Amino acid sequence: MKGAERIEIDRRYCKGCMLCKYICPCDVYDLGQERSDLDYLMPHVARIENCKVCGLCEQHCPDMVLTVVAKKKGKEKE
Amino acid sequence: MNPLGEKYLRKDFLPFLFCPGCGDGMIVQAFLQAVDDLGCVDDLALTAGIGCSAWIGVYMHVDILKVLHGRAIPAAIGIKATNPSRKVVTFTGDGDCLAIGGNHLLHAARRNIDMTVVMVNNQIYAMTGGQVAPSTAVGSKTQTTPYGNLERQLNGCKVAIAAGATMVSRWSTAHPKQLIKTFKKALNHKGFSFIEIMSQCPVQTGRYLLGSGSPQFNFQWLKDHCMKEEDPSKWAEIEAQGNIPVGDFLQVEQPEFMAEVARMNQRVKEAQAKGGDR
Amino acid sequence: MKKGRIKVMLGNEACVEAALLAGCRFYGGYPITPATEILEIMSRRLPLVDGLCLQMEDEIAALVAVVGASWGGTKAMTATSGPGFCLMQEAIGLAVAVEAPCVIVNVQRGGPASGQSTSTAQGDFYQARYGSNGDYSLIVLCPSTAQEMFDHTIKAFNLSERFRIPVIILSDEVVGHIREKVFIPDADQLTFVERKVPTVPMEEFVIFKPEENGVPLMPTFNTGYKSPVISQAKSLNGNRGNAKEAVENIRRIVSKIEDHMDEFAEVQVYGDEKAETAFVTFGSVCRAARSAVDMGKEKGLAIRSVEVKTVWPFPDHLVRRALAGAKRIVVAEMNLGMLQREIERVIRQPEIKIELFSKIGGIYPQPQEFLRFLEEKR
Ligand SMILES: Cc1ncc(C[n+]2csc(CCOP(=O)(O)OP(=O)(O)O)c2C)c(N)n1
Ligand code: SF4
Ligand code: SF4
Ligand SMILES: [Mg+2]
Repeated sequence: MKGAERIEIDRRYCKGCMLCKYICPCDVYDLGQERSDLDYLMPHVARIENCKVCGLCEQHCPDMVLTVVAKKKGKEKE
Repeated sequence: MNPLGEKYLRKDFLPFLFCPGCGDGMIVQAFLQAVDDLGCVDDLALTAGIGCSAWIGVYMHVDILKVLHGRAIPAAIGIKATNPSRKVVTFTGDGDCLAIGGNHLLHAARRNIDMTVVMVNNQIYAMTGGQVAPSTAVGSKTQTTPYGNLERQLNGCKVAIAAGATMVSRWSTAHPKQLIKTFKKALNHKGFSFIEIMSQCPVQTGRYLLGSGSPQFNFQWLKDHCMKEEDPSKWAEIEAQGNIPVGDFLQVEQPEFMAEVARMNQRVKEAQAKGGDR
Repeated sequence: MKKGRIKVMLGNEACVEAALLAGCRFYGGYPITPATEILEIMSRRLPLVDGLCLQMEDEIAALVAVVGASWGGTKAMTATSGPGFCLMQEAIGLAVAVEAPCVIVNVQRGGPASGQSTSTAQGDFYQARYGSNGDYSLIVLCPSTAQEMFDHTIKAFNLSERFRIPVIILSDEVVGHIREKVFIPDADQLTFVERKVPTVPMEEFVIFKPEENGVPLMPTFNTGYKSPVISQAKSLNGNRGNAKEAVENIRRIVSKIEDHMDEFAEVQVYGDEKAETAFVTFGSVCRAARSAVDMGKEKGLAIRSVEVKTVWPFPDHLVRRALAGAKRIVVAEMNLGMLQREIERVIRQPEIKIELFSKIGGIYPQPQEFLRFLEEKR
């Protein structure tokens, strides 16, 4: 099973539209409490273990701020 | 910034001027993905008019000429004319393309000049604050149709087909995968391609026409209303229900304008060398 | 003596001849009397030199396509007349704002609106300078003969490339349609100016940073600079939003021209340079004024005719010098007093009234009428 090592949110440009949370089929995101440099409340990666690295959030993000970094192959077994 | 952005965006121009959740940024990303897949960034020359959607190309690190409201298409023709090996793409809004620039669309399509027009349809004049556009549904209340829009919609794809475009597609920002595929097809199509993208504008269209300014609501609206239907004979039925047909509607091969120009120049020069000038 | 050949041709034809020599390879146009011959001849000639002449859907498209071609890396031009010139005004501002070298010919006809399509006029004098919105400057040249249609077209291309601006040739129906001898120098006898392009690596290049002469280098498209060229107020890197740099940029696009007027401003004097009586003219009216000067001389009347060749930016100091010592100044023009206003602004001597000899309605002034005017209005 694919998994994400981490999801990077570029806080310089996030506008807190929360489309990532809406689009994610695996309920990875919550609305967070932290503000971006543009002063919007950012999404919070609450359940990274759910992520299937489908890439939908990254592909849909209107400000291109999300990077989903997959676990390297075989890492789970280590 | 995701890797695609790192690779292709103009860092000193960020952030995008688009509102939170605007579809225009999604189009930036889908287009860049297509360009990356084809590896054609150095061949690109973009033009744009005026409007929110006209800024789409400005953030991409490529040559772009952003001109006047409605005039992106003639600018593209001038650029193409001087070097036909370029891949010329125009980003334009529904108002930019169908109202003030409508005439240019007709004539570029009928010439079948090799270029791609990407018309971003948010069903409104967004940049100026939510006025009626030729693409706004009948009955809609906008800032300039406070008692409801009396005018019927102009359908960009049908116009492009009628005018002689040789590739016509419509997708929405809720279809990034299909959109990327269509962009790639258009970039390789030898002739005039017209791609309409239904895009969410939560701030104007959402608030005034659809009843909610939430990006999620507006995104879902597109998912619910855009129906894949590539058979034109079925469009009327879909449209009667207030829905929007999407798909790759048309792709045909026809003589391309710049290739014909090159042929004519050759013919004329040879004739002149022989003594005539025709 | 320059080498070349002499050919009898229309003013409009001379314009095409010069444009092709200057390297113009794109023409975007729309038919309109009395400028149509330029489009027609271009459509015959450009294919022979691998250029492209496009009849666009209107004059807006014509000039915008020219701006596109200019950024595409080609010398480009258009020609039109009154109503078409009106349609081009927004795009003239565009060419100014994106600093696209190009040439626009306005073969003037009677106005307003559709006016008199086959008649001559000079009513676009101010429109040529002030027709677009906002603060800007550009260069306007006024030919009076077919030869000057040729010479000014070469000069217009050179100035447009030197300053990266639209240069307007403000001709009129008489000059466009006159058929007379034109000396066409061989190409190697002429000087052609080309836009300066950057050579530094893309990362070091700042798109709207001016060189010492006030003009930035032009990174034409697909030459590796990935240029952002927007019509909005912009900062040095081409982006919107930096108000201070945007203001400086607007000042620069004006001063890059007006600080260097000595390079191109031209005022000629015909006749007796010391004469107390002076005509002031531009464009085709210069021709009749010259004849009037000659006729006056035969009658023992000393007259000078001051011909303003570069009407914009208005060459105040050259006009003042050309009119020094004149006691009687008569501005002759085919409008209701446009050049007159400029002369009134430049010559501020209470004892001198700037008189107006005006002809409109497509009636070209006859030399005798100049002399009659001098007598009757005394
Ligand atoms: C000649 C001219 N008229 C009017 C305007 C004002 N204006 C700017 S954007 C715009 C409408 C843009 O609407 P659309 O093309 O749909 O783009 P959107 O903002 O919706 O993406 C208008 C009318 C202008 N800039 N220029
Ligand atoms: S990659 Fe897919 S599963 Fe993972 S967070 Fe994004 S949308 Fe959810
Ligand atoms: S007004 Fe609408 S179209 Fe314009 S940036 Fe905002 S959301 Fe996007
Ligand atoms: Mg719109």
